[in-house]
Amino acid sequence: MTDPVRGLQATIRQIVPIPLHADLACGRGEVLALVGPSGSGKSTLLRCIAGLHTPLEGRIACDGETWFDAGSRVNLSTARRRIGMVFQHYALFPHLSALENVLEGMDDPGGTGSRERGRELLRKVHLDGLERRRPHQLSGGQQQRVAVARALARDPHALLLDEPFSAVDRSTREKLYGELAELRRELKMPVVLVTHDLEEAVMLADRVSILSRGKTLQTAPPLEVMERPASVEVARLVGLRNVFEGRVLSHHRDRGTTVTEWNGRRLDVRLQEGFPGGARVAWVLPAAGVLLMPRDRPTEGSRDNIVEGIVGRMVTLGSRVRVPVYVHGTDEALLTTTVPRHLAESYALAEGRPLSLRLRGEQIHLMPPDDTPRDPPV
Amino acid sequence: MRGWALALVLLFSSATLAWADPPIIAGAADLKFALEEIAAAFKEDTKHEVSLVFGSSGNFYRQIGQGAPFRMFLSADEGFVFKLADAGKTVDRGELYAIGRIVILVPHGSPLKADGQLNDLAAALADGRLGKFAIANPEHAPYGKRAEEALRHAGLWEKIKDKLVLGENVSQAAQFATSGGTQGGIVAYSLALAPAVARVGNYALIPDSWHEPLRQRMVLLKGADEKTREFYRYMQQPAARAIMKRYGFLLPAER
Amino acid sequence: MDWTALILSLELAAATMVVLLPIGVWAGRKLAWSRFRGKALVEASLALPLVLPPTVLGFYLLVAMGGATPLGRWYESLFGHQLTFSFQGLLVASLIFNLPFAVQPMQRAFEAIAPEVREAALCCGMSRLRLLRRIELPLAWPGILSAMVLIFAHTLGEFGVVLMVGGSIPGKTRTIAIAIYDRVQAFDTTGAGIMSATLLVISMLAIGLSYLITAPGGIRRHD
Repeated sequence: MTDPVRGLQATIRQIVPIPLHADLACGRGEVLALVGPSGSGKSTLLRCIAGLHTPLEGRIACDGETWFDAGSRVNLSTARRRIGMVFQHYALFPHLSALENVLEGMDDPGGTGSRERGRELLRKVHLDGLERRRPHQLSGGQQQRVAVARALARDPHALLLDEPFSAVDRSTREKLYGELAELRRELKMPVVLVTHDLEEAVMLADRVSILSRGKTLQTAPPLEVMERPASVEVARLVGLRNVFEGRVLSHHRDRGTTVTEWNGRRLDVRLQEGFPGGARVAWVLPAAGVLLMPRDRPTEGSRDNIVEGIVGRMVTLGSRVRVPVYVHGTDEALLTTTVPRHLAESYALAEGRPLSLRLRGEQIHLMPPDDTPRDPPV
Repeated sequence: MRGWALALVLLFSSATLAWADPPIIAGAADLKFALEEIAAAFKEDTKHEVSLVFGSSGNFYRQIGQGAPFRMFLSADEGFVFKLADAGKTVDRGELYAIGRIVILVPHGSPLKADGQLNDLAAALADGRLGKFAIANPEHAPYGKRAEEALRHAGLWEKIKDKLVLGENVSQAAQFATSGGTQGGIVAYSLALAPAVARVGNYALIPDSWHEPLRQRMVLLKGADEKTREFYRYMQQPAARAIMKRYGFLLPAER
Repeated sequence: MDWTALILSLELAAATMVVLLPIGVWAGRKLAWSRFRGKALVEASLALPLVLPPTVLGFYLLVAMGGATPLGRWYESLFGHQLTFSFQGLLVASLIFNLPFAVQPMQRAFEAIAPEVREAALCCGMSRLRLLRRIELPLAWPGILSAMVLIFAHTLGEFGVVLMVGGSIPGKTRTIAIAIYDRVQAFDTTGAGIMSATLLVISMLAIGLSYLITAPGGIRRHD
């Protein structure tokens, strides 16, 4: 539970030029990732926090200090907010050396001990020996490290990173993830990271905030978002494919089971009493919850649901194979699972072949029904 | 910010140095060489300097009307002086200082001949020897007006006017007449006599009965200082008159 | 060689550069980074003197500030001499005529600075003054210098508007370009030749310097 006075809190509302409807909170020493497709407004939100963009309405505060309040007309300038920001394309000062770039991030670049502090910061990001180099003499990864050092030079109240890794190549990115993970142990300020890469967010963040069209849909630890999305939209945004409609039949508290109906079939799922009996629901099952091996009988209490179907068109993705299955008796609903290649071969999976699947009710998660107007199919 | 404002104010004030500047005297373009000689003599004799600007009399009339900082005006046409006097821009109605003449000027190597009766010019027009002919702009240069009158008198104006090159003042006309772009022109006698011009061409006087007389009048302008008046008086003295005579001007006392 | 005229021309060029430098920096910066209604109109107006015939400018200046106009009379009452036929009148004309040479190169130079770099500077806590001094000017100086060189060369060559507004008064408004014209009319080809050659050399040096400064891979070492 984040301390209501400490850390970063932001409530942002706006209709033009970009619609925003966001509520964010990030505690000290916590990494919050803002994830969403391009155009979802995540960069704009970050810029609001930084003071580079002024939203129409809302309130932004950090460590108890109000940075922005539309109602009382408070709007601290970027400089006064004491933030450190790392930009997607580094934004280093091209005519200054790496050390000078870091010095400019300090309050008193010319003061005693500043140069030493600057060198120390560069050492921390593994750039010792490169202080004199100009940005154009450094690689992408090195430039980004300078940017991080510069952002930290001021002991900022919050560290903001705007897609910091999207401009570097894969191997450099992996290295930088490791370094950021190392660095954050020392960071005692809220860290907000904007990325379009969900995997990156899952790797680096304590909590993840899923954004779509300027709205924060769900803010929770990464695993929770991936396994228990708050809505069908979130489920789609995090890449979950097995999203279906159903209806709650009954709850059985003694067994820890809720019985739902799926196009005429009965499904035993984890007990979720939030949905009253008879209510329409949407439900989602991660691919890991769809298993190949059927047993003769489901084990007591394991809440496994056996379904049969026909294999559809398979897609090989590296070492795994995506297997879609048209399930009998459900209006040919399409269930997707992925299996390792060797397993697909040993089971002789092929298009058109009948297949039995075991759905783990333990991992079936219920959500409000999808009443949102659907975008026309792409 | 204040430093800028101060610098601008200093730049724009007419500071103390103005009183030391030599007075600026506007002279008609035909006086180009004559007046320069007179000014040099004036400096020898009195140790005082004047600053000369040459141009067409009509142009000077307009500029003086707009407040140009001239102290004295030597016009090639007294009409301009009278108009300025009527407008209150002058000290008095001035003095006649010379009568001018026009000549036909042909550069060396030109197919034209320096014929003051303009017969050769007529022939050249007829047989196509004439490409272009230079005069000063009749609209504001008195010598140009007289050239037009002479050409009309000779019955050549209609035929020649499409071939005319107009100089902004009579000295530019002389320049055009001798620089090779034209076959010749009608310019001031005083210019044709100047060594620089005489070197490059031949001339012949055009009868002064063919045009209105060039009554050249000078006048002190409002605000003329003592130095200017000194020069004004100098113009009427023997030294200056001798120079004017050498440049072909008829002097008033002789008329 | 008419030294008075040459010195007068150099003074006019220097005065124009000095006045237009802060104006150009201010306007160039504003146009590079502000968006406002009518910005396109402002930019077009600033570019107007580039295509305006010099005599048109001269005409309008005479009409606006000649001795008989309210502006001309007000000026005379303030400073004791006329605006037309004076060095100061030439300066006014020169300032207007050189405005696009001042603003446009500087605007381009400021525009070339990535907005992210400026934002990063703000995030570093820099005051506007430090941002200007430490980041913007060092990155934009080739454009600024190039503007100054262009103004210098252009002012030396001004003729039509100078003649109309100034009237070729020696020591006051007879610049070297006009002196050349005057020498030609006086059949002094030697004098005209010397001054013309001088101006030619100065112009070549100016344009060469300007290219050297702005060429890619030229003086900029940090691109």
